[in-house]
Amino acid sequence: MAANYWESTQRRFWTFSKPQLALERKKLEESERSLVTMYPLADWRHLSIYFFNPANKSRAELTKIARPLSIRQQALATAQVYVRRFFTKVEIRRTNPLLVLATALYLACKMEECPQHIRIILAEARHCWGKPVCQAKPISTNSRPDASFDDISKIGECEFTLISELNSQLIVHHPYRTLAEIQTQFQLTQEENTLAWSIINDHYLTDLPLLYAPHVIAIAAMTLAVVLKPTQGGFQAGAANMANALQVLGGARNAPGTISTPRYQKLIDWLAESSVDVEAIVETAQELISLYQVWDEYNEKVCKDQIAKFVKQRGLDK
Amino acid sequence: MFTSKKRVNERYKIVGFISSGTYGRVYKAEGRNGRLGEFAIKKFKPDKEGELQYSGISQSAIREMALCTELSHANVVRTHEIILEEKCIFIVFEYAEHDLLQIIHHHNQPQRQAIPARTIKSILYQLLQGLVYLHKNWVMHRDLKPANIMVTSAGKVKIGDLGLARLFYKPLHTLFTGDKVVVTIWYRAPELLLGARHYTPAVDLWAVGCIFAELLSLRPIFKGEEAKMDSKKSVPFQRNQMQKIVEVMGMPSKERWPLLAAMPEFPQLSALAAGNPRLHRPLGLETWYHNCLKNHQYPPGPSIDSPGEEGLSLLQQLLEYDPQKRLTAEKALQHPYFTAFGKPSESCFEHSKIKYPCRRVSQEDNDIRTSSLPGTKRSGLPDDSLIGRPAKRQKSDYGFSFQR
Repeated sequence: MAANYWESTQRRFWTFSKPQLALERKKLEESERSLVTMYPLADWRHLSIYFFNPANKSRAELTKIARPLSIRQQALATAQVYVRRFFTKVEIRRTNPLLVLATALYLACKMEECPQHIRIILAEARHCWGKPVCQAKPISTNSRPDASFDDISKIGECEFTLISELNSQLIVHHPYRTLAEIQTQFQLTQEENTLAWSIINDHYLTDLPLLYAPHVIAIAAMTLAVVLKPTQGGFQAGAANMANALQVLGGARNAPGTISTPRYQKLIDWLAESSVDVEAIVETAQELISLYQVWDEYNEKVCKDQIAKFVKQRGLDK
Repeated sequence: MFTSKKRVNERYKIVGFISSGTYGRVYKAEGRNGRLGEFAIKKFKPDKEGELQYSGISQSAIREMALCTELSHANVVRTHEIILEEKCIFIVFEYAEHDLLQIIHHHNQPQRQAIPARTIKSILYQLLQGLVYLHKNWVMHRDLKPANIMVTSAGKVKIGDLGLARLFYKPLHTLFTGDKVVVTIWYRAPELLLGARHYTPAVDLWAVGCIFAELLSLRPIFKGEEAKMDSKKSVPFQRNQMQKIVEVMGMPSKERWPLLAAMPEFPQLSALAAGNPRLHRPLGLETWYHNCLKNHQYPPGPSIDSPGEEGLSLLQQLLEYDPQKRLTAEKALQHPYFTAFGKPSESCFEHSKIKYPCRRVSQEDNDIRTSSLPGTKRSGLPDDSLIGRPAKRQKSDYGFSFQR
């Protein structure tokens, strides 16, 4: 872990305990009581899947505009962190979430040294969400084109809002860096590394980036990847498998030496030596398990309609 | 609809205008409503002149805002806050009464008088400490030069202007593709001049070497003329600048710099030598140094009032051609130059009777909100790429005037 994380604005201002985070969200909801009642929204994790799901064939909104531009995963991750931080300070029903998404991506690309011109981002956003080029689609209230993407000014203005709410604290530390470091140390197989990487990608769909240091996430991802034993045929980090992994970990903690395979043993020794907070790793795993559990109930249309409803009715797309 | 939470005019009273550059303008200000002290407020100009709508913030402004927010060290100019207000960005810095350019300028007239050796030692020591901090935090400054190094009236040295700085941990693209050319040409490291694609924090140490030399001699050691970008916007080889370096340092060799031949502009170097017999009889840094000490009447022999032989040794290791052999900031701090005759002073003005004039503040433009900005539009490329600093910038830096 780079020495600078400990003094970073990420650690000082954007890492919360669970109760703290819950309190922040509650304060926000209470200040917008009527809006919250009028426009019910799905679980945050469902909204996150709807916005960000990084999977290959995903139709997640952010992925839709980022994919044609081949934007690097690190910039996508930074954009997701910006959005998540932003919505702890601004009630989502006061915003046009799609505009926030496009702007966060534009800003993240600049910060991660893979800049995209604002007009390129705008063109992609308009293609997905804006005015149709020809009027082939029937126009109902819910498919009224989003005027936020008529020209660059709305993204430019939203950028000011975003930076202002984030207090210009734009440098984000990601688990990928630690994973790359420990991967060689621990000699992860290609499959394990791929799985750990995708676990990290998935953790942005949860509150974990606001709760734990990136190196904790990286070690948790690596641990889970090793325990989950991916095979050549690819592996899904599903809830059931994750729960198994957790049991293995739990067993190791409570009764050292019960794990038989040398690879597990090496991992457990390494964890003990590295003085990482095993509790945090277990919690991370649990958080991921519940993500995969709620994923089964995910319904894209519900999320889409809920968002569209408050955006259109409140005229946030004008 | 963006509405700013803070208003610059409610929080600060603008005292006057300090300077302008490609980025925008800098003002001197005093705090209002219980905010004590003096400040320097940098106002970024919108990317296009007279822009009435939001058009996206330039990548360099984004970098500077993020870095200023993140960094905090006694030898880096402190950022108090950043205010976003109606399409404008204001970064509020601590105020520094002097900078190295101004100090050098002061010693250049009326009668040339050397900067005290102890002052120089303290300046370098503080500068390197700031640099160690930046490099530890994966930040390359990339534009160190006398005008960017502030000195407070208490003699504290502060690295300023992170406008070109960036994080160097695993850049997604090679550093070359980002913004073509960096560092004001006189302080530009040889690997940059030779077109290195992947450069390192060592570029900052070359600049420190140039600054050290300039503090001693009161003029830039390698004062080359910048080759302009041609119509195709390709980056030209800075022949004249390379020549100035070679005239003093001699030709770099593959023996001393093993990766030299791998530099993209390496063939240019032989061409340079072929047409210029003088380059085969370089002055040599040692001769340059001893001439300089003699001309500026530093006492001969080891003394606290002379940079001495240790100074030469440090300078040689900073102005080392091979970036891999060049001293790191951390190593430079351990150089015997800093331990001979005791530890450097905490204040660079300690033991010095010289009084430097205050920074000149002009009254022509006191309205930070509405003032129109001078028209120095950046050339070429989209907002996200910054092509070096045009020569204009250099001129305006050196065009600073000071009260006498």
